[in-house]
Amino acid sequence: MIKLESVSKRYGSKTVIHDLSFTVEKGEIVGFLGPNGSGKTTTLRMIAGFTTATSGRVTVAGYDMATQNQEAARQIGYQPEHPPLYDALDVCTYLRFVAKAKGVPRSDLSAELERVMGACRLQAVFRQQISKLSKGYRQRVGLAQALLGKPQVLLLDEPTIGLDPDQIHNTRDMIRAFGAEHAVLLSTHILPEATLICQRVAIINHGRLLAIDSPSGLQRAVEQTYRVTLQVTAPAQALRQELLSVEGVRTVQVDADADDRQILSVACQVDARQGVEAAMARAIAGRWQLHRLERQQPTLENTFLHYVSQTPAAEESA
Amino acid sequence: MNGTLAVYQKELWTYFRSPIAYFVVAAFLVETGYFFTYNIFLTGNATMTETFQNMGVLLLLLIPVVSMRLFASEYSAGTMELLLTLPLKPWQIVLGKYLGAVTILLLLTTGTLINLVPLYLFGNPETTTILSGYIGFVLLGMACLAVGQFFSAVTQNQIVAALITVSVLLGFWFVGHLQSFQTSYALRGLFGYVSFSDHFGEFVQGLVRTEAVIFYLVVCVIFLTLNTNYLQWQR
Repeated sequence: MIKLESVSKRYGSKTVIHDLSFTVEKGEIVGFLGPNGSGKTTTLRMIAGFTTATSGRVTVAGYDMATQNQEAARQIGYQPEHPPLYDALDVCTYLRFVAKAKGVPRSDLSAELERVMGACRLQAVFRQQISKLSKGYRQRVGLAQALLGKPQVLLLDEPTIGLDPDQIHNTRDMIRAFGAEHAVLLSTHILPEATLICQRVAIINHGRLLAIDSPSGLQRAVEQTYRVTLQVTAPAQALRQELLSVEGVRTVQVDADADDRQILSVACQVDARQGVEAAMARAIAGRWQLHRLERQQPTLENTFLHYVSQTPAAEESA
Repeated sequence: MNGTLAVYQKELWTYFRSPIAYFVVAAFLVETGYFFTYNIFLTGNATMTETFQNMGVLLLLLIPVVSMRLFASEYSAGTMELLLTLPLKPWQIVLGKYLGAVTILLLLTTGTLINLVPLYLFGNPETTTILSGYIGFVLLGMACLAVGQFFSAVTQNQIVAALITVSVLLGFWFVGHLQSFQTSYALRGLFGYVSFSDHFGEFVQGLVRTEAVIFYLVVCVIFLTLNTNYLQWQR
């Protein structure tokens, strides 16, 4: 349903998206993960047709966004990061406008409004002016707008931001239900959300796709190493030497901004096998004071950090 | 056409749910009423000529207040992202918005008709001259709106859009005055041709020339086309 082929986007001399390729199939929910400014929103905007790709091809429901964006737009429901609302209008008038602009026939208009307002639980604020709505309701009106006209593809830019836990739960249920028959691409930086509702996760940083796989697949891929964090009272340099000499420890990062005898926070990448932590503890125990040693389970968060920390930040332009 | 209609209806809703339309119409009618009364009692002639001239200048100052928000408010509210991702062509957005603004203009114009009541009650005005003045007034307003809407899109800021529009409109209004400083025949002709006030003056005198009608319509088409191209280019 959504297909990106070697898509790049440049603003002047600055390249914000580098050679991005991936697909989202029908019946699939794909999560788009990346730190702030990594290019998530720009990518969604290119798929939605708000901006065009500088090079490469974006296809939605079989339509090329560069030449057939009118036809494609009928198949796309897009919720931008900030709900695009007219404060002066009431909810009903606003949704009516979007439905008409999407070409919903006059005879189906009322039924269609009923449907999305039911799905987003907006009946209570049906006649309220948008400027008077709470943040959660604004977000839901933004989602309702995207659902109008029964699109084949749903693009959601951080859909659950600003919602209370109950609303988050409902919204996720709705996305899951929608994703069963349509294609959904949602950007988020709430990692558990991606694990909960997405079949596949794409990790993007500095405009480059780092990995795309199922959440468990991504975790397996980085499981050769674990992340171990320690808190030790020791001289930074000596501690570093000592830890690196332990077999199985790959990298040591000492957070040493204060003087040497304070408690240091240390993050290590170690081989994923038994006994490495114990060896580390033994190496420290005799000489310095060990306050805490923890092995982090490879959650999606660690996976994400693993990928994101690998990309050099300097490659802004190509 | 449905897309244009949807945008047009949305525009009208927004106008009448915000104070700006009421304020602009009220301000215009109060000021026009003042000029009308003043001119009638000063000259003692049952004519709209002077009042039309004043209405023209008033329009230059009030149109930017209507036009400044047309696109700038969409940019600041983030709704431009919605408009450009809906299955709407850029010209449909531009035309729908423009027609909404023209509706406000027609409303203004209709409001001033009340001045004609005493004119016809106590005098014997020339109907054709008044009619031609109104045609000129609406055409002038339409051209000004097209200019204002374009700058609202380009500057993406309401205040800047209003200031630039006022300057450009005043430029178009007074450019005719430069004629007397020119020795070149071609330049004099050009300054006269692009002058909003020279053409408007003819309408006010009761002269509806095809050339003048086409001039205003061409200004509308040029600025609306630029506006459409700008939206397209921005992608």
